[in-house]
Amino acid sequence: MSANRPGSGEDTGSVKNGSMERNSSGALLDIRDLHLGFRGYTGYTKVLHGISLSINRGQRVALVGESGSGKSVTARIVLGLLQETRTARITGDVEFQGNDMSSLNASQRRALRGTRMSMIFQDPTSALNPVFTIGYQFTEVLRRVDEKLSKEAAYLRAAELLHTVSIPDPARVLDAYSFQLSGGMNQRIIIAMALANSPSLLIADEPGTALDVTVQAQTLQLMHDMVATHNTAVLFISHNLGVVREFADRVYVIYRGRIVEEGATQSVFESPGHAYTRALMAAVPRVTGGGIPDIDDESADFHDPCFTHDSPIAGTES
Amino acid sequence: MTPVLRLLARRLGISLIVLIGVSMLVFGIARVIPGDPARIALGPNASTEQIAKLRASLHLDESIFVQYGHFIKDLSRGDLGISLYTNRPVTTDIAQFLPATLELVLVAGVLMIAIGLPLGIWSARFRGRFADHIIRLVSLLGVSAPSFVWAVILMLLFAYYLPLFPIAGRITDTYTIESITGFLLIDTLIAGNFQAFLNAAWHIVLPAFALALSGIGQAARLTRANMIETWDKPYIEMAQAYGYAPARIANRFAFKPSMIPSLTIIGLDFAAMLGNAFLVEAVFAWPGLSRYGVAVILRKDLNAIIGTVLIISAAFLIVNLIIDLLIAFLNPRIRYSQRDVK
Ligand SMILES: Nc1ncnc2c1ncn2[C@@H]1O[C@H](COP(=O)(O)OP(=O)(O)O)[C@@H](O)[C@H]1O
Ligand SMILES: [Mg+2]
Repeated sequence: MSANRPGSGEDTGSVKNGSMERNSSGALLDIRDLHLGFRGYTGYTKVLHGISLSINRGQRVALVGESGSGKSVTARIVLGLLQETRTARITGDVEFQGNDMSSLNASQRRALRGTRMSMIFQDPTSALNPVFTIGYQFTEVLRRVDEKLSKEAAYLRAAELLHTVSIPDPARVLDAYSFQLSGGMNQRIIIAMALANSPSLLIADEPGTALDVTVQAQTLQLMHDMVATHNTAVLFISHNLGVVREFADRVYVIYRGRIVEEGATQSVFESPGHAYTRALMAAVPRVTGGGIPDIDDESADFHDPCFTHDSPIAGTES
Repeated sequence: MTPVLRLLARRLGISLIVLIGVSMLVFGIARVIPGDPARIALGPNASTEQIAKLRASLHLDESIFVQYGHFIKDLSRGDLGISLYTNRPVTTDIAQFLPATLELVLVAGVLMIAIGLPLGIWSARFRGRFADHIIRLVSLLGVSAPSFVWAVILMLLFAYYLPLFPIAGRITDTYTIESITGFLLIDTLIAGNFQAFLNAAWHIVLPAFALALSGIGQAARLTRANMIETWDKPYIEMAQAYGYAPARIANRFAFKPSMIPSLTIIGLDFAAMLGNAFLVEAVFAWPGLSRYGVAVILRKDLNAIIGTVLIISAAFLIVNLIIDLLIAFLNPRIRYSQRDVK
C-alpha cells in the first residue's frame, strides 16, 4: 500500500522540490537541531536544546529518558500538533518523507496524520472516545484515506483488521464501547487502528504503560509483529529500558532536552557511554520477556552525571 | 428489562409521586389563603342562601380531606372542575390558553439550543481568542438579568424606539386562523396561509428572545466549560493525532461527551422557562396561561388555580423525563450499565 504513496503527499506537491534533494540520507524521519521553548507567565522555558534524531524506513527507534525529559513534546512536533500551540516556539528541521514540516501549513501537516503517520498513546481505554462505538471510530480512521468508503465496506475492512490483531469476535467488538472492553482488548484495537492505513511512521508514546505488565508485554509483542508485517517505522518512546532492549533496533537516550547517547540497541546496552544511560540501566532490573517494573519517574539524582559529561544546563529550567 | 426501560419506569413512578405531592400542597395552600371563593364568585350582592348553595356544590362545607377525595375522584376522570371565573370547565380553559404558552416556551427552547450550544462550541474551540472573549461577554450579559427585564429592554429597544417588531400579541387581528393544534406557527401552515405564518413568527421573536436570553447565555457557558474539560482528554489528542479537521473534532468528538453533563442543567433551564414565561407574557400581552393564572389567583378560583399549577408541574416533569431519556440516548454508559452485556 505504501508503494503507491511516494515521498510526498497529494496536497503537498509544491513542497517536495528542493527538500527532496536536501534529504540526502534518505531517512524517513530526520530531525536536526530541534529546539523548543514555551512562553509562559513566568518567562520563557526551554524544553528541547537541539535534538537530532533520524529514523529509516521500517526501522524501530527508541527514545528513552525519564519523565519530563522532552519525549512527548518531540513526538507532538513530529506529528505537527505542537505547532498549533501558540505558546510553543520551535526551531530546527523536521523532515518527514523528504518534506520539511516547517514549510507545511496546518492543514498540510494535518493531511499527513492518520494517513502516513499515526500515534499510539499510553492508556488505550482513555484514548478511545467513550460515547462512540469502536466500529464508528474505526471506520472514521479508514475514511481518513478513502473518504468515499461505504459504511458496509468500512465495517468489513475494520473487522478484517481486528482479526489480524487476534481479536476473535470482531463484529461484537465493533458494536461495543471502549468501557465495555478490557484494557488489553482496547490496546489491540488501537494497534489495529494505528496501522489500518499502513502509515510509514508509527509513534508510540509509552504504549500500554497503563496496562498491567503481562498484558503490556503481550500487546508490545503484537505491535512488534504488526509493524514488521506492515513495514512501518516506529518511534518508540519509553522510560523502560528493558522493553526498549527487546523492541528497538536503535536507541536515543534523552536527558533534559538533549540527546546524551545514541547507537544500535545492542552496543548501547553492552557498553553504555554516558553516565546517565548507565544510571538508567542500573535502575532497571534486567529481565528478559515481559514483566518489567517501571522505574521511578522522579530522578533528581541525575544532575551530577550530566554536569560531568555534557555542557552545563544551568538556567534552562524555569 | 433494558436499562433505559428501567430508567423510564422509575422516572415515571417518581413523576407520579411528585404530581400527587404538588396537588396536595396546592390544594392545602389554596384553601388556607383568606377569602371565601363562593362569595368572591357571586359578588357582593349575593344572598347568604345563594352562597351556602354554591359552597355546598363545591363541597366547601366539608372537611379538607373529603374535599381532596372528591378532587382526586374527579381528576381520575380527567375532570378539573368548573372555573368560577369563566364558568367553563378548567380543562377547556387550559386547553385554550396553554398552547400559546407552550409555543412561546418551545420557540425559546429552540433558540437556547440553536444559539447557546454553537456559541459554547466556538468559544471553547477558539478559547483565549477574540471570538471567545466576545461570546463570554455576551453570555455573561445574558445570564445577568432575568427574562422579564430582558422583555422590557427588548420591547423598548426593538418595538418602541426602533419599531421593528410588534409590541404585543400573537398575531395581527385581521387574520382569522382556525385553531387545530393551538400553535399558531403550525395552524397557519396547516391553513396554508404563509402570510399569517410570517406574521405570527414576527410576533413571537421578541418574547421568545426575552425568555431565551439567559438560557442562551447559560447554555453557552456550560457548553464551553464542559468542552474545555473534554479537550484535555486523551481521546481528543488521539483525534488530533489522526488528523481530523478541527471543526469535526469540536462539533463531534468533543461535543458529544461534553453534552452529557450539560444536558441536565440545560433541561432545568428549559423547564424554568415555563415559570418565567408568565412574566414575559405579562409584558408582551401574550394571550397564554399567565393572564388566566393571574386572574384566577386574584379571584381565588380554587379549581382553576389547582388545574393551572398541576398542568405546569406536569409539563415540568415531562421536560425532565425527556431530558433523562436524551441523556440515556447520548451516554452509552447508561444504556449498557454492565460490562460486556452483549
Ligand atoms: N504545552 C506546554 N506548555 C508548557 N510546557 C510544556 C508543555 N508541554 C510540555 N511542557 C513541558 O515540557 C517538558 C517535557 O514534557 P514531555 O515531553 O511531556 O516529557 P516526557 O519526556 O515525560 O514525555 C516538561 O517539563 C513539560 O512541563
Ligand atoms: Mg510523555
